[in-house]
Amino acid sequence: MLRFLIARLSTIGVTLLVVSGAIFVVTEILPGDVAQMMLKKEATEERLAALRAELNLDRPAHVRYLSWIGGVVRGDFGDSYVQKRPISEIVPRRIAHSLVLALFALVLGVPVAVAAGVWAGVRPDTLWDRVVSTVGLVGISLPEFVTGVMLMLVLASTLHWLPPSSHILAGTTPWTRPEILVMPALTLMGVLFAYIMRMTRANVMEVMQTPYVRTAVLKGLPMRRVILRHVLPNAMLPTITIIATNFGWMLGGLIIVENVFSYPGLGQLLLRSIQTRDVPLLEALSLLIAATYAFSNLVADLAYTALNPRIRYA
Amino acid sequence: MSQHALDGAPLLEVKDLAVAFHTPRGTFRAIRNASLTVHRGELVGLVGESGCGKSTLAFAVMGYLPDTADVGGSLRFEGNEISKMSDAELCELRGNRIAMVYQDPATSLTPTMRVGAQIQEVLREHLRMDAERARERTVELFESVRLADPAAVGMRFPHELSGGQQQRVVIAMALACDPDLLIMDEPTTGLDVTTEATILDLVADLKTRVNAGILYVSHNLGVIARVADRVSVMYAGQTIEEADVRDLFKNPRHPYTAGLLSCVPKPLGASGAVTKLSAIPGSVYPAGEGDVEACLFADRCPSVQDACREQAPPMALTDVGSSSRCLFWAGVRPGMWGADEEREEALPTNGAEPVLTAKSIRRFYGSWKRKYLFFGPRVQPPVRAVTDVDFTVGRGRTLGIVGESGSGKTTVARAVVGLVPLTGGENQLHGEALARNVDDRTRGQQAAMRMVFQNPTASLNPKMPVRHAILRSLKKFTSLNSRERRERAVELMEAVGLSADYLSRRPGELSGGQQQRVALAGAFAGSADVIVADEAVSALDVSVQAQVLNLLKAHQREEGVSYIFISHDLAVVRYVSDDILVLYAGHVAECGPADSVLAAPSHPYTEALLSAAPVPDPDAEPTRIRLEGAVPTLREAFKGCFFAGRCPRKIGSVCDEKPPPARTGPGSAEHVIYCHIPVDELAEMQQPGADPVDATSASSR
Repeated sequence: MLRFLIARLSTIGVTLLVVSGAIFVVTEILPGDVAQMMLKKEATEERLAALRAELNLDRPAHVRYLSWIGGVVRGDFGDSYVQKRPISEIVPRRIAHSLVLALFALVLGVPVAVAAGVWAGVRPDTLWDRVVSTVGLVGISLPEFVTGVMLMLVLASTLHWLPPSSHILAGTTPWTRPEILVMPALTLMGVLFAYIMRMTRANVMEVMQTPYVRTAVLKGLPMRRVILRHVLPNAMLPTITIIATNFGWMLGGLIIVENVFSYPGLGQLLLRSIQTRDVPLLEALSLLIAATYAFSNLVADLAYTALNPRIRYA
Repeated sequence: MSQHALDGAPLLEVKDLAVAFHTPRGTFRAIRNASLTVHRGELVGLVGESGCGKSTLAFAVMGYLPDTADVGGSLRFEGNEISKMSDAELCELRGNRIAMVYQDPATSLTPTMRVGAQIQEVLREHLRMDAERARERTVELFESVRLADPAAVGMRFPHELSGGQQQRVVIAMALACDPDLLIMDEPTTGLDVTTEATILDLVADLKTRVNAGILYVSHNLGVIARVADRVSVMYAGQTIEEADVRDLFKNPRHPYTAGLLSCVPKPLGASGAVTKLSAIPGSVYPAGEGDVEACLFADRCPSVQDACREQAPPMALTDVGSSSRCLFWAGVRPGMWGADEEREEALPTNGAEPVLTAKSIRRFYGSWKRKYLFFGPRVQPPVRAVTDVDFTVGRGRTLGIVGESGSGKTTVARAVVGLVPLTGGENQLHGEALARNVDDRTRGQQAAMRMVFQNPTASLNPKMPVRHAILRSLKKFTSLNSRERRERAVELMEAVGLSADYLSRRPGELSGGQQQRVALAGAFAGSADVIVADEAVSALDVSVQAQVLNLLKAHQREEGVSYIFISHDLAVVRYVSDDILVLYAGHVAECGPADSVLAAPSHPYTEALLSAAPVPDPDAEPTRIRLEGAVPTLREAFKGCFFAGRCPRKIGSVCDEKPPPARTGPGSAEHVIYCHIPVDELAEMQQPGADPVDATSASSR
């Protein structure tokens, strides 16, 4: 196990290093000069030069990369150009917001999706299976901004059950008004439900055909027990990987959902950092999202190991 | 079988059962007309080729058929119709009154659950035991199926057990609630012959110990002869003969039964020359065909008469008290499929010029593992699959390689043809060293060595007509032009007993036996010097297996080709081989002329293999030597004898400390035996009066 962890952690380290290089190169290629962008109309040659010197933009790229990555290793991501504050002060609150939203959607969505998938997989080609499969297809096909806007129209504008905007007032947390989480979470669940439900359904159908499920049935066990003890643990194995990958996506890829609902999470911050050419912030966020992917995959592998006795890392 | 067992009402009564599956591609009649009874205390064998409906019958008894199945006739357990039972009634019956043992124990146990828990849930469900009592009972059950260390086994996961242990767990699970009827569906198929023997011992012991009726499904006549009291034979969904086990083997009263018996290579140790195998031509009457008023076996029967095609024969009582679905049962003789002619010997047995020589070949898998990824001390050495194996294949001769799974047979085959490169040693073809990798060999060398695999379906391209495989071989390995190649392809197909129009068919339209014959035609195409056949007949039914074996022999006589023939079935190896190489854990146990190696076993491992092989004769003396456990995975070189860990004849510490010396066999100077026990001393130990052997004390890892 230790050997496995060491191996995986070092792989993650290498991955993040490569990613950091890629991010740096991309921000270098990004059109527009940061100093120009920041000074806008007040840009004179002297002021531009002064600002470039202040931001170390006049130094060669590899020197800047090394000093940046050196800072990252020490936990210092530098200062945001726009907010003029250390990035390590800005980001944690946003991470917390995004985590809350993602976990909320997961906790709500995964059990529903798995249950629907099992139900459909046990009785393939019944009416219920067709309904669930169609809903899943629709969920995959509709982009989040469509489902998000539709939810807003129905639940907020027409029925007035929920507030249309999910912004968080200064000094409060998402839990102060948990109702603001409902619509973004539902939108996320739409996509999540489809993936997880379809995956579960396919796996359950496959496991139902295995000789060991036949053994369980021919032991005279009631169907409920066969499904809970013999089908589900085996059918869930591949699903776990899907859930973990989706978790990475939910933290990093919330740009659309967070912007539709004005929810102040990582995605919104990321979008703004791109719009304002806030390069240090952009770099930090990209690296953070890559790390989330890497670690949620590690967690998935560990969970997979725990559930699958055939795999034991020595 | 006690007489009173037959008197009472039968436990299971299957009468005129018919099962059809309605599918979009048509109706398949898996069972057309099957009748059999099982009484308490008797073991009824059910035999037949694949596709005859044996397993469907077994699952019908469990009430486990898909919704598309249409069941006719009656299927009564203690007088109650099984096909009319509700789900709740079936749950009450299954695992409790009727229990089943399956073909493949590895896939029949839930991989994510400890095996103890899988048995405990049966006990808790049916007998309402509490957790503590269920645990105790599980240990008792494990003891009763003779699992070593019964208390610890329950905590293991299925993949942590060997195949034999897994099957014992499945049997223990079936016995959990003291069932009245036990159904065993090919319980030893897929297990090693040594493991099979120990499981069959257990089944024979169960018969006397539990007061249940047992229905035992198998395609292997040797297995049936070993365990059954009565036998039903199935053909094309019909039960065609039902008889006492001795009558069935000595006085078969249906041509099909007689045919099956003559397809099996004669028992080992039988004196005199090997007799030619008979084969049943054609294939099983397809399940997709409708019912006809005729004997379904008529097209394959050697003594078919006009009457056979005009009416469906009823079950008739015969002179020996058996029943037969044949109008002319009185005319059935054991020899009706061809007299016992002596097999023609290929070429002079001595002094054949060597074609292929393996010199101390080695193959290790994997590389040293280090403690931390790329760093740290080296902690795990590679697996030693084949260690220093020597052999020679003479021109026109067949070298048979035998051994349990894991003994290195397939690795030797692949190393010889260059599919896996050698780690050490050298292969020579006609005295010239062969490159380790097949791609580095010359075109001529590639053409000289061909391989035939176990599974023909997987080795033919399913999208291409079979012509493709044969023409490609011809194009690559001969200098014929395209018209000559097409003509040659037709000749090759005829040589393997298939008509030319099979060339345009796809593999999916051919039966397993036909596919394997196409694969052989491809191997014959390049006029190879050596053909390596790795379990090439193992997946085939006995009737087809006989055809393929005879085909191999005929081709050898005509072309002088040499074979390396790998099989776990000793009777088959004996039938085709001139020389035999016995492998254990990647080491040569012994190697020499077939008669010398098999007639009087002079190595304890060969002795154990021979002892384990089931003999298709119900009166055969039960053998005594059993090997427990499995071939170990080797990562270290042996200090002493490679077989010491499981050897039933181990003579002492010398076996653990010194590598065995090479001895010369009694009959032939070319016979090499690696054992500490001198040949004559081993022969003395094998005398009937000698101390009984207790193999279960040998390590079982």
